[in-house]
Amino acid sequence: MKRRDFLKNSALLTSALCLPGAIDAVQPAKSSPTPSPAGPLVVKVEGESPYNITKKAVETLGGMKKFISKQDVVMIKPNIGWNRSVEQAANTNPEVVKALVEMAYNAGAKKVIVMDNPCHKAEDTYKRSGIEAAAKAAGADVRYADDNRLVVHDFKGESLTRWQVYRDFLEVDKFINVPILKHHGSSGITIAMKNLYGILGGERGKLHRDMGLGIADLAYGFKSHLVLVDAYRILLRNGPTGGRVSDVEFKKTVIASSSIFDADVVAADLFGLNPTQVEFIQAAADKKMGIPDISKINIKSLKI
Amino acid sequence: MTAKTGKNIQRLRIAIQFLFVFLFFYLLFQSGYSRTESFSYTDYFFYFDPLIFLVNFISTGKIISLFLLSLIPLFLTLLFGRFFCGWVCPFGAINQFFSWIFRKSKKEKKEVNRPLLKLKYIVLIIILVATVFGTQLAGWLDPFSILTRSASTAINPASNYLLEESLKTGAQDKGIISKAVKPAYDFARKNILTQRQRVYSQSVFIGLLFLFLIVMNLYKRRFFCNYLCPLGALYGLVSRIGFFKLKTNPACISCNACSRNCTYNGSPFKDYMKSECLTCFNCTTDCPKDAVDVCLELPKKANRTTIDIGRRKMIGSSVIGLVVASLPKTIIEAKTKVVHRFTRPPGSVKEKEFLSRCIRCGQCMQVCPTNYIQPALTEAGIEGLWTPVLNAHSGYCEYECNKCTQVCPTNAIEKLTLPQKKEFKIGTAVIDRNRCYTYADGYNCAVCEEHCPVPTKAIRFREVDTWNHRGKLVKVKQIYVLPKLCIGCGICENVCPRSDAPGIICTSEEEAREFQL
Repeated sequence: MKRRDFLKNSALLTSALCLPGAIDAVQPAKSSPTPSPAGPLVVKVEGESPYNITKKAVETLGGMKKFISKQDVVMIKPNIGWNRSVEQAANTNPEVVKALVEMAYNAGAKKVIVMDNPCHKAEDTYKRSGIEAAAKAAGADVRYADDNRLVVHDFKGESLTRWQVYRDFLEVDKFINVPILKHHGSSGITIAMKNLYGILGGERGKLHRDMGLGIADLAYGFKSHLVLVDAYRILLRNGPTGGRVSDVEFKKTVIASSSIFDADVVAADLFGLNPTQVEFIQAAADKKMGIPDISKINIKSLKI
Repeated sequence: MTAKTGKNIQRLRIAIQFLFVFLFFYLLFQSGYSRTESFSYTDYFFYFDPLIFLVNFISTGKIISLFLLSLIPLFLTLLFGRFFCGWVCPFGAINQFFSWIFRKSKKEKKEVNRPLLKLKYIVLIIILVATVFGTQLAGWLDPFSILTRSASTAINPASNYLLEESLKTGAQDKGIISKAVKPAYDFARKNILTQRQRVYSQSVFIGLLFLFLIVMNLYKRRFFCNYLCPLGALYGLVSRIGFFKLKTNPACISCNACSRNCTYNGSPFKDYMKSECLTCFNCTTDCPKDAVDVCLELPKKANRTTIDIGRRKMIGSSVIGLVVASLPKTIIEAKTKVVHRFTRPPGSVKEKEFLSRCIRCGQCMQVCPTNYIQPALTEAGIEGLWTPVLNAHSGYCEYECNKCTQVCPTNAIEKLTLPQKKEFKIGTAVIDRNRCYTYADGYNCAVCEEHCPVPTKAIRFREVDTWNHRGKLVKVKQIYVLPKLCIGCGICENVCPRSDAPGIICTSEEEAREFQL
């Protein structure tokens, strides 16, 4: 059985099983990434326009067609966590999201959904971040996280097991993870693996108890088909909320990969941290998701 | 005046009443649930309310210039009688509508109830006397306050709940119903329904009181307007010296048909009272002989056709006013700090001043995007009933928002720009070390630190060695608060993952308004 069929079937099964309003368990649609010796390619593109470097990065990686089949329903999950503007660098750059939506449609996607479960009120964050307007302009279906659509999903992790997930994320064919690289108090930094918190509902604060392992479990149990880290502006201090423009630095870079682990390692290095010091990267390495060593990763750097 | 003209005037009145009700709810809906940042203010209705103008002037000694607008309806009342009650007031229109719904058989004879009509003047005297002595009562009975408060904290949330539940049930149906209802649900989800159901601590109390006032129309037509409304009493006093009057002409055959639909059960034929006539023109349509005329004439010396509450009741109600004003000032909350455990919205003035300014209209509660502002029951003492207090169980103060500081009609919450509001200290976060996971259980947590919106973080953590719940020595990121940086927005308390009671709470400690002159 193909992964796509499996996802489709499990989605069908979900809707059949789930009585209206009830929360029901579903089988995980997981496939654990196993690192090949050469490792997947990580593309790092630097340039003036967030829109152009995003397009360039995905093209260099083999083009969107490599990740998306015709008639796929695609979920793009940016970080829209906070009621902050683009300059404050607390959310993914809207231009990056726009470029991805366009590329997904050009690759033949049936539908592109943009969605997150923000920390602040969704109406505010979607608007102020500029993502709602940019994604809608590109034709995406911009959705709010609707608590009526929560189902329990078993991530089968060491720390994270059964937790509430928005059904929208489980029902799509392809999942594109688009975090912003920024500082985060308790986890050090937040990148792609941490960005997956946004698919969860419920009392997410309780996950902070064992955060590093929880994030690794999440990334292990939920497949990101394509990861694109927005490091155009990065928030260096006082994250994840930020607020001061003086805490923001221009890196004018995006990092793209099919491997969430490798993308995070390269991004952590760009941030100026030793990847092994980042708790969740170390925890993911312990789960054999990859090697937290920048020299062992197949990186292609470009400047446009 | 012919019955036909009367009918046309009546139709015009009903149309205008509908218009004002629509306008009122449209503005209220816009201000609260609007997803745009620019929003219309509902408080313009209040600026046309001379009662609020009067009590606010008495209690603060200052004139808020926009309230000068309320002189317009006051002067027009001299010319047109209580047109405001009959044509403009949205709460009046609602009462009128329900009086019509609850109307009884036409044969029934109704008499003017003079003692009951006096009640609203007594209410007005009590309110004014109490205001002079520093206790604000107007908001509890002012029609705009009642309507805004009830709509914000009870009617709108309840309607939202009913609409959402019914559409959701329909949309989840497996058969044909879902096909019809699903698009309606999706439309409502996008455009009408609130993203999260809004909740208010006093919605049952306030909602039932509103229901009570509506149901009382079963007993008497426009019960609230005729017998309780202090604003109506004020307009009544003005219209006594006004020019407008309805009168029968010689064609009258004394059938008293004109009393049939009169709002106060009077008529131009018998018991006509300028101060009670709501200028609804129902009588003109009921007259079989076209014998009711409008006449504008100079007011004569008062005769028995006006309401006179008499010296005794005048003195009696003044005494009640004094008692009502003084008692809440002598309870323990008025003097001790006990009452200051709660916090008020940003921009609120000093507590004593706040209580004398706030008219409990609930607009701040309506516009708060996160549902943080709640009507008080006893938190702020008995005098503070329905004044806005902050409750982190339901929300938090959004850093990038100053809506509540823009809508207060009486400046109990003073106008703040967004940068000013970001600096305004609502209170201070205090850690409860017996509850906070990082202290009590030796867990890492720091959700409050993550959410703290202050750009330099007023909540931070330090790594310490501590014993966890298993008795093991572990490294834990223990949080601490920097009180000087904390603005008391309450998001830390709101997001604290502890299920029973938060490990960090926002109190009025160091609140900015305490240091106001």
